[in-house]
Amino acid sequence: MAKMKKKWVVLCSTAIAAVYTAGYWATESDKSNIPVNAVYSSPSATSSTSGSGTAQVLDSQSQVSSKYNDGTYVGMGSNRRGTIQVSVAIENDRITDVEISDFAMHYSIDDVVGMPDEVLQIQSANVENVSGATYSTRAFSDAVQDALDQALRA
Amino acid sequence: MKMAQWIKTPKTYILIAIVVYLSIASWATRSMAGIENGGIAAGTAIVVDVLFALIKKRKRIMPDGAAITGLLVAMILSLNTAWFIIACTAALSIISKHLLVYKKKAIFNPAAIGLFLSIPIFHAEQSWWGAFGDLPGWYIPLLLIGGYAVTNRVNKYPQVFAFFLITFAMTLAMAYFHKGDAFDALRPPFINATLFFGCFMLTDPPTSPAKIRDQVVFGVIAAITGSVIYGLYGGLMYLFIGLLAGNVFHLLMQRLTANRPKSSSKPSSQQKSKPISTLQR
Repeated sequence: MAKMKKKWVVLCSTAIAAVYTAGYWATESDKSNIPVNAVYSSPSATSSTSGSGTAQVLDSQSQVSSKYNDGTYVGMGSNRRGTIQVSVAIENDRITDVEISDFAMHYSIDDVVGMPDEVLQIQSANVENVSGATYSTRAFSDAVQDALDQALRA
Repeated sequence: MKMAQWIKTPKTYILIAIVVYLSIASWATRSMAGIENGGIAAGTAIVVDVLFALIKKRKRIMPDGAAITGLLVAMILSLNTAWFIIACTAALSIISKHLLVYKKKAIFNPAAIGLFLSIPIFHAEQSWWGAFGDLPGWYIPLLLIGGYAVTNRVNKYPQVFAFFLITFAMTLAMAYFHKGDAFDALRPPFINATLFFGCFMLTDPPTSPAKIRDQVVFGVIAAITGSVIYGLYGGLMYLFIGLLAGNVFHLLMQRLTANRPKSSSKPSSQQKSKPISTLQR
């Protein structure tokens, strides 16, 4: 079979690049949905928080001598493979409830279903890495940490 | 085969390209895990391939194709994947190459079917780190340079261009109609996966057609199937499912051609030259 001529290779490549660019441009408006402060990192790299800073206090009560404000806080963790949003309930400096409110990773949600219970058990965002779910684990941990950061007393 | 001849084979082109990519990705991520994973996967694939060659009493044992399959597996599975999952995935790939055959040729792309099965069986995580999936976007031109060199060598431009054009057109349609996650599909690491997959996996000579028309149909089938799966379900299996659908088309075309009476077939330029598909990986 004859090789494709260079002229056709260039023409086809240009056409493909044009379609790609149109798609890229059309999806740029979706960028606003991506957490602004997200730091994309490989799980193998040094730890870096990708908490988005978009967590919001749903219900907080003031307390004087405690580390966290009581209430329910929403935190988000993201990386290049998607986003996880969690709501974390805090009462008397203890995490009393953790729920995954939105799971938008490109992996199965089954990877992280047991993690809310683990957070309740260890009372920390530092859940153990699950083999085969590194990116989801990292996003979940970041989401919980983000919520805890929101709950921290200034 | 002499060294000078071996250097010019499509397999050597691919081998050199993926070894270079593996080295660059390992250097950029400052991790030796990639090299280790590559060694485990390639080693396992070679051992299994040699075992099959011995069982089949083949006179010529040349497991370079198995090494390529193993390296592809290692470059797609996450860097944090357990060593036995990497080894099992590589072994699955080579087993499929030897068991799922038609006229002594593998039906399905070995790496694609191994990686596809590794998700439900081993719960394996895929990151496409070897396609620079964890690195900044400016590494992508390196993918295209090696990808075009390999595509040119195996003479698969029609197939690759059809795949890319339909994939990006369908992603554009997804963006227009707000269906699926078009944003991710056009950005790292998914764009890296698409480009690497199109140039290095879709072009596997034994499991894809040689004729221009069939190449285009193959690329279109792979692109439509993969894009529909991505649009509906997201996830990471969509590229492999697309390729496996293309492999089934290739198998059907081979069977149809084999059943056609010889007298009715016209001689074509394809038959005059040695088809690239005879160059088994």
